[in-house]
Amino acid sequence: MSPQIALHDPVFHAYFWIVLISIAIAGAVLSFMRFVFTKETAAMFKTYWSWILIAGIGFIVLFLGRIPTIVGATFLAICGFKEFARASGLYRDSWMTGAVYVGIVMVGIASVISDPRGEEQGTGWYGFFVAVPAFAIALILLIPILRNRARGELQRISLAIIGFVYIGWMFGHLGFMANARNAYGFICYIIFATGLTDVAAFTFGKIFGCHPLRSEISPNKTWEGALGAFCVAMILPWLLRFSFPFFGVRQLILTGLIVGIGGQLGDLSISVIKRDIGTKDMAATIPGHGGILDRIDSLVYAAPLFMHMAGYYYPLR
Amino acid sequence: MKEWFYDSVCDIEQGPVDPLRKFQREPEMIVHGLRSLSALIIRSLLRIYNQFEIIGHQNLRTNRSLVIVANHCSHIDTLCLLAALPLRKLHRAFPAAASDYFFQSVLRLWAVAILVNALPFARRAPVRKSLSLCRELLAIPGTILIIFPEGTRSTTGEVGEFKSGIGALVAGRDIVVTPCFIDGSFRAWPKGKRFPRPRKVRLVVGTPRNYCDRGTDKIDICAIAAELRDAVNQLRPANASH
Repeated sequence: MSPQIALHDPVFHAYFWIVLISIAIAGAVLSFMRFVFTKETAAMFKTYWSWILIAGIGFIVLFLGRIPTIVGATFLAICGFKEFARASGLYRDSWMTGAVYVGIVMVGIASVISDPRGEEQGTGWYGFFVAVPAFAIALILLIPILRNRARGELQRISLAIIGFVYIGWMFGHLGFMANARNAYGFICYIIFATGLTDVAAFTFGKIFGCHPLRSEISPNKTWEGALGAFCVAMILPWLLRFSFPFFGVRQLILTGLIVGIGGQLGDLSISVIKRDIGTKDMAATIPGHGGILDRIDSLVYAAPLFMHMAGYYYPLR
Repeated sequence: MKEWFYDSVCDIEQGPVDPLRKFQREPEMIVHGLRSLSALIIRSLLRIYNQFEIIGHQNLRTNRSLVIVANHCSHIDTLCLLAALPLRKLHRAFPAAASDYFFQSVLRLWAVAILVNALPFARRAPVRKSLSLCRELLAIPGTILIIFPEGTRSTTGEVGEFKSGIGALVAGRDIVVTPCFIDGSFRAWPKGKRFPRPRKVRLVVGTPRNYCDRGTDKIDICAIAAELRDAVNQLRPANASH
């Protein structure tokens, strides 16, 4: 991954046009609803402008190459964890928060450096990347011992570990995918597919929704929306087969399942956390979307599963 | 099993800009880090670019809350006073900044909230509310309040009249007030100029005083303001720049 390669990479080009056209179509549909049916679309337009901003920044970072992509993913993971920490109150404990930051930076470093005993340079250190949780959890457990404190520490340890492993490390897989030979295909596909699945769930839910999916967790999600999103996610690998031309039917089905089910489970898992804490959004960083964590929730769940699935059948390098 | 109590940070439903506008700010690791780092950079820049020098440093050595009162010619003044404080006190030092000037545009808000941890002071509206916020802060030991009682930057380099609000803040209360004189900041960065110039800047710290035995009526308050102005003016070095 580098600017030179991105300029000539057909997959990167294709995604650039696909995203541009999707945004244009969405804009046309929204404008149509606004001016022809005179529906109230102000909130949707806010979300829409943010989508354009996200897509723009995403493409610039991907274009810049491997290290900017990894740094960007690490930065997003840190922002996502920060939102989680602020909402759950872990943020008041700056030592724990700091330890998780250190862990997330370690994930980023493991994605950038190469295996010291490996042959190839600039491919990430897979072994260390997979082992980072062990070291980070060891560091987190060290903190109460160093401070000689026990009261209420289990809650802090648990929050720090779930924050690191789920938001830091699992999301870090997105950055690690920048090391794959087929990096553009994998990263663009997983981001685009989870984004589109989210939009599909929202749209199908709005149009056909009547049966609540999980009433105790997220009252706005419906079975109809989930099924619509699942169908979209199952069709998408075939439509975008050029992203991973070497995938067979089994891998395409697995990709569809991971995005269609995993993505929505990710959405629901963050909803569980939010519901228990008692907040609607994790933060208000992105207008019309809520926090960064609310945006990347399905990616957090789907990206690592996708990477390990792809890595099982075809070595990343 | 009992449910956990989540002690959420109170501004999670707000965007990234609004919490900066609010006071007091939640302690925030990244902001604190940026502030400490920028303080180090600003200190070294002042030393090199403006040959910054502090006279009477020992007068700031206290663990009590104190109000620093100084003349005001330029934005450099605040940076000079902050540079005289030890780094560990930086996050408890609040320069009072006009809310109508500093707390409107996002860029200025960023600068004052992150770099100098400014306290929004309403100079147009009745100052009573701002003063009670100051008192609240001073009740916590270790707070440092930086106030320029002229209310604005001087356009001539002379020390203007002090507003009576400073008298109202300290009259009849056991609050340590430290007068300071900043010399050379007018030539270094006058009001209206875009960039600072490499002129020598000196900070003279006077002896702390307090006004706990004074009354709180209008005459006393104005007298205290005038006395403080004289105290600041008397610190002007003999070989001052103008």
